Amino acid sequence: MKLDGPEGRKKNTMPTQHLTPDEIQLWAEGLLPAARALHLSDCHECLTAAERERSFFLQLAKLERMAPSPGFAERVLGKVRIPTPSGGFKAPD
Amino acid sequence: MVARAKQGDEVAFREILRRYERPVFALLYRMVRDRALAEDLAQDTFVKILNGIRSYRPEFKFSSWVFKIANNAAIDHLRRRAVDTISLHGSPDATTPERLAATTLDLPDRGESPLEEVEARELGSAIERAIGQLRPEYRSCILLRHVEGHSYEEIAQMLDLPLGTVKTYIHRARNELRDYLEDRHNETRRARGA
Repeated sequence: MKLDGPEGRKKNTMPTQHLTPDEIQLWAEGLLPAARALHLSDCHECLTAAERERSFFLQLAKLERMAPSPGFAERVLGKVRIPTPSGGFKAPD
Repeated sequence: MVARAKQGDEVAFREILRRYERPVFALLYRMVRDRALAEDLAQDTFVKILNGIRSYRPEFKFSSWVFKIANNAAIDHLRRRAVDTISLHGSPDATTPERLAATTLDLPDRGESPLEEVEARELGSAIERAIGQLRPEYRSCILLRHVEGHSYEEIAQMLDLPLGTVKTYIHRARNELRDYLEDRHNETRRARGA
């Protein structure tokens, strides 16, 4: 039997285990350890699933941040008590 | 900025508002699905933040503190009203056209080509609808994670939940969103094939 490496371990020529759904989510978030992410270079099935997941996350990140109506900041500031260095509060303008 | 606000610098107050008004309003709008109500809650949130700025502790990330107050406002409201599954096309509880308009999510133009805009709006609308179907606690978690980009640890701190619970909620929320979108995709394909 051909042995490989300094410790004489047999070289692993079997494909690594498929990524679990949790690992696919971790990969899409950039949190999967590199050793497990290596599997994607050999497995088209997992790569497709992982890219689909990443695309889904990108769509979520692209959701619009809607704005409140004009004058919102002024309405808030009209209700806020601004502290003064002496420990009191400025009256709203 | 926060240190200056604590000293009573009005410019710093305005800067906090400028920086956070859109993300806070967007979070609240997606949570309660009512523009006027989201504005009221956003106003209450900022009044609380700015009036309480001296109680802010710097060991807590400022944005986490801001979103914690905003999220609590939304959750408190939803607990009182039990408004948790409202469509993109308006609340099913709306009894007048005015209420229907007020509870319909208003998606702005994103400056894309007409075809891209239609596709993006369709997908964006589908995702908005799917988010509207989630339980409020799942909705908070998924919005804070994927729209606002907070870490799991920050979300746990904001929502006063164990880290494992946050991970579970986000995992389940993603699965529910994906299932909803796949169902919708299959329905569309069936309708086109019919």
